[in-house]
Amino acid sequence: MEGEEKSEEVNEDFICKKHAKFFRRSLDVLPSVYSSLDTSRVTVAFFALSGLDILNSLHLGICDYDCSHIAMTYTALASLLILGDDLSGVDKVAVIKGLKALQLPDGSFQPTVDGSENDMRFIYCACCISYILNDWSGIDVPKVVQYIKKSGSTFCALASLVLMDCLDSSFATKELEQVKRWCLFRQMSGFQGRPNKPVDTCYSFWVGASLKLLGSFCSVDFLSNRDYLISTQATVTGGFSKWPGHTPDALHTYFGLCGLSLMKEPGLREIHAALNITQRAADHLHQLHEKDANR
Amino acid sequence: MAESSGDEDCTETDFVFYRDREEWKDVTPVEQDDGPYPVVAIAYSEKFKDVFDYFRAVLMADERSERAFTLTEDAISLNAANYTVWYHRKVIVEWLKDPSAELQFTENILELDAKNYHAWQHRQWVIKEFGLWEREIDYVDKLLTEDLRNNSAWNQRYFVISKTTGFVEDVVHQEVSTFTTLPLPPLLEVRTRLTMDLIRKVPNNESAWNYLKGVLSQTGLSKYPGLKETLLEMYGNGIDSLYLMSTLIDIYEEELQSGLADSNCLEQALELCHKLATDVDYIRREYWNYISRTLKSRFGVPTQ
Repeated sequence: MEGEEKSEEVNEDFICKKHAKFFRRSLDVLPSVYSSLDTSRVTVAFFALSGLDILNSLHLGICDYDCSHIAMTYTALASLLILGDDLSGVDKVAVIKGLKALQLPDGSFQPTVDGSENDMRFIYCACCISYILNDWSGIDVPKVVQYIKKSGSTFCALASLVLMDCLDSSFATKELEQVKRWCLFRQMSGFQGRPNKPVDTCYSFWVGASLKLLGSFCSVDFLSNRDYLISTQATVTGGFSKWPGHTPDALHTYFGLCGLSLMKEPGLREIHAALNITQRAADHLHQLHEKDANR
Repeated sequence: MAESSGDEDCTETDFVFYRDREEWKDVTPVEQDDGPYPVVAIAYSEKFKDVFDYFRAVLMADERSERAFTLTEDAISLNAANYTVWYHRKVIVEWLKDPSAELQFTENILELDAKNYHAWQHRQWVIKEFGLWEREIDYVDKLLTEDLRNNSAWNQRYFVISKTTGFVEDVVHQEVSTFTTLPLPPLLEVRTRLTMDLIRKVPNNESAWNYLKGVLSQTGLSKYPGLKETLLEMYGNGIDSLYLMSTLIDIYEEELQSGLADSNCLEQALELCHKLATDVDYIRREYWNYISRTLKSRFGVPTQ
């Protein structure tokens, strides 16, 4: 399996040590201009931890969180996996019960019980949570599939369907071919999120991973995708920004690395496209599931 | 991951800390409890810490009051992404039964961040709860005039129409005459004609092509009278747009599938794939080679 400890040559233009430093700084403390991330700190922690995992630079202690937002629950669970936790400290029954309370009559999910927005993104979080806990009883799956078929947000939709093992049964070949083309048409140099929009680092993951799930990632022009990603590195501080020369942040740094990892950039661990963690962390999860099954 | 915009250095404003305000003397601020090992700590400004220490106190006491209402405004202006503050503001507005400040308040937030989900959600709630539909389309019009691609504004437009008149025919016509670039009339011919007009003007606008395909998805591209001829004529006139060529390939594929294709149909499709892969759309060469292989295996190698 790739992604084991390896001392392979890293390309000169890829400043991976600086990116690792960038994430370690993020885990420690952020300056006050990032105060708008106050309610998303668990997600930032996930970006940093998973990013360090991809960079093969993870050596940290275990941490604990408490959470009340579906994205925080998902990223907290993923972070625990990345840190090698066996999830025995997680109150699975409570989490699954919580999920049930968040699904709406149309099949979509709201992120908090207070009721705010609802859309594809939170369906994806709910699917990751159910997949990780290996318990789908908190989700009405047919309703979710119905909702997905009328909705957009390609990555969250495709990854949710893959996690529910419903991708091929939900769409005709022709429909999947149309999604493939739509995704491939997003490549300009890097990838854009919608037609007529500028390219942005994070879409090398959102669209790239979608293509990976569709089995069409091989049709991507690696060289121009890589050139774009490399050009959005912040060469002094480490990190990636969405456009060349802009301020780097944890989200774009994480997805920039994911984009490179999809193309097997030397020095990076392989990622599991649907779960959005390294293959190593996903393997750890699957071992936990196996242990549970044999119990 | 927007940086906070409202968190200016407290020395440059006449902001008075809540801890120094006489009317808040009865409240004990509640500090954030991060446990012994904080992760992704944020070096909050003094003002941020002050406001949120008092907000936490208000939240724990579930205080509904004029002063708590003002506090939510300060807290949101410091971090418009804090969903808990938005929720508490909603609770207080319900209690006050006074929505008069909310439209302007959300507009101010949306001026800084046009996509702020919480502000849109709050605004939709206020409009629905207090029946403030009347001027909303005007607001959406203003936003769309500033940026025709403001997705949140389109979403709000859909929200208002679907919750008021519904998409009845007159409304749809009205919508079409307002935004002729994105036509939605009930008649297939009108929709197609308007889209083709747009495509002729700007053949490299992918959105128009996608819209055309959406409009004709029920009918089938190859069944629409004159479409193939029009596209071939444009192509013949030297317009080698990626979208035009790929639509032609789709038409050929439909014809091959229906069994009603000309004898050189496959050959023409393959030629387009080749030109895309080697010249017009080199970045997607692997994809066009894949399409070419798929067509060949499905519909046979061309004779001769």
